[in-house]
Amino acid sequence: MSLLEIKNLHAKIGEKIILRGINLTVNAGEVHAIMGPNGSGKSTLCQVLGGRDGFEVTEGSVEFDGMNLLEMETEDRANAGLLLGFQHPVEIPGVKNIYLLKESLNAQRKARGLGELDTFAFMKQVRELVKSMQMDDAFLHRGVNAGFSGGEKKRNEILQMLLLQPKLALLDETDSGLDIDALKIVSEGINRLRGTDRGIVLVTHYQRLLSYVEPDFVHILYKGQIIKSGDKSLALQLEAEGYEDILKAAS
Amino acid sequence: MSAPMPRALEPIVLPDWLRAALSQPATARVAPSSRQAAALAQILNWGLPTARDEEWRWTNLRPIARLAAAEPQAKAPCSDLSVGIPDALVIRFVGGQLQALPQNLPAGLSLTPLSRAHDIDRAAAFAPSAQSRNDALLALNTACATEGVVLDIAANADIQAPVVLDWQDNNQHGNHSHTRLFIRMGAHSTATVLEATQAPENTPHWRNAVSVIEQGANSQLTHISLGLAGDQRLLTDRSFVQLGRDARYRSINIQLGGQLARREIDVNISESGAHCDLLGLMMPRGKQVMDTHTRITHGAPHTTSNEQYQIIADEAGRGIFKGRILVAEDAQKIEAYQNSRNLLLSNTAEIDTKPELEIYADDVKCSHGATIGRLDDEALYYLQSRGISRTNARKLLITGFAQEIIDALPYPELVAQMSAMMQTHMGDAP
Repeated sequence: MSLLEIKNLHAKIGEKIILRGINLTVNAGEVHAIMGPNGSGKSTLCQVLGGRDGFEVTEGSVEFDGMNLLEMETEDRANAGLLLGFQHPVEIPGVKNIYLLKESLNAQRKARGLGELDTFAFMKQVRELVKSMQMDDAFLHRGVNAGFSGGEKKRNEILQMLLLQPKLALLDETDSGLDIDALKIVSEGINRLRGTDRGIVLVTHYQRLLSYVEPDFVHILYKGQIIKSGDKSLALQLEAEGYEDILKAAS
Repeated sequence: MSAPMPRALEPIVLPDWLRAALSQPATARVAPSSRQAAALAQILNWGLPTARDEEWRWTNLRPIARLAAAEPQAKAPCSDLSVGIPDALVIRFVGGQLQALPQNLPAGLSLTPLSRAHDIDRAAAFAPSAQSRNDALLALNTACATEGVVLDIAANADIQAPVVLDWQDNNQHGNHSHTRLFIRMGAHSTATVLEATQAPENTPHWRNAVSVIEQGANSQLTHISLGLAGDQRLLTDRSFVQLGRDARYRSINIQLGGQLARREIDVNISESGAHCDLLGLMMPRGKQVMDTHTRITHGAPHTTSNEQYQIIADEAGRGIFKGRILVAEDAQKIEAYQNSRNLLLSNTAEIDTKPELEIYADDVKCSHGATIGRLDDEALYYLQSRGISRTNARKLLITGFAQEIIDALPYPELVAQMSAMMQTHMGDAP
């Protein structure tokens, strides 16, 4: 059984049609990259999968781990194992990172019928993750993303993924706005998520990330449809030739 | 849409039980007799303030006029908030009447019932006088106060133990009480005074309080005011603070309970180097009305003030903040900051906030900001995308907002207790 199965997905915001029939299958153990020019529908696809208000699915279906994803609340999607890494992580000044991490993990445990986590073990695990993402412990007691640099915000997204261990990580432009050092740290984090029982979807504008996190499949999204799929060489071809030639060849 | 109905414009007639109290013989009252007589004449002439009086535009005192003349009822006291705070010196008032004062006071601290205080202290305790009907409740307090406490902190004394005023505002001694507090801090002294007001449910009682605070040079006072349980409790409470050179006054005002909580904090910074911090959190819900008016007067150069007030209004709750900052003509090199941040959680709640800056000097750094917003949808979605239910995400955001003020309280035990009470107060409303 595939982890994620998107069939003929159409979606719009207001009267504006953005997704025009997306088909995509992700199996456990696979890393997929979705690339495309600005306005192609990459972020909309992520938000529709994340369950954000304001998008209307007009046609098609999404099955996640055997469930009808589109009928689930945002929090239920997360607890079922689909986690969305935000392109622009939200700043929440009053809520400390440590509370967010604890609440999320407890919500997930509750959804899976497990008891509340052990505080001592939790803190130990969190501190190790903070260290592995080369962040400071003080970060745990700061407001979620409040006053963080772009790089810190993205590292924070990956840290949450590493703690929550999703079945499917959907990373929306996690690489944009990162300098090379931050990109390496984030990429290492993503590589640690890779596993035979997990799927990863990288939504990105640039090939750069894919040198650090090698995808099994690359898809090109254009005007709300996947117009071409291939292996990692497609990303390199895209880098060398640019979108225009590929779009021309595909049309 | 038609214009909103004006509120309480008609004069509020003094209720019979209050008239009866005012006509009692003056023997048991503690204000100096000349002050008492003048104040009595004022209150009889003015009655209670209405929406026509500038300082009462948003807060209707009709609930006071409607308070029934309750038969005194014996009530068990509410739990003691000072439990867990090390070495707390607890002064308990029940229905406005002073219970025993704590024994074994630290050196440099003296506590005296106002009824037995020296004439000089009583004169100082009743120094502020009412100027207009805006000050009617001050006049009423001066006319009616039967008891209070003088806290005298000697020069150089560093009082580590907090002095806790445990106001059990039940109706054991009637439906209203008028209490007066006088705090005098000698030069270079330090102290913490914590006032907690609470009452059992279904116990209508109005306490009209006044505190007068005189801080000597370089003294430091933390003054905490907590409005806790009591669904039918009414509180009107005005503080007058006079700061000497380099003195520092820090007020933390947190209101969770009560049908009405109206606080006024007047800080007069009349000597250079002095500073005040005014922090506040009000969380009206149900039909609660919570109102704070602050007035900071910078009367000397090189003085600073910092103000942060937050209201979280839910259901049909009403929150009001008015912050006046006055900088006198010769008061140069002033820094005054005011920030009023507010959360409106329901369509039937109401928040009124008004900064009022009056600046006559030219070399002044002054800033103010006021925002009223709803919970941020982006933030809610982000938390939900991490598996947190919408209800819990709302709670996290509201708690986080409230905690900014609660975390400013001294003593970890107090922070923990107030955090828990805030959570309970917030309830499980979606």
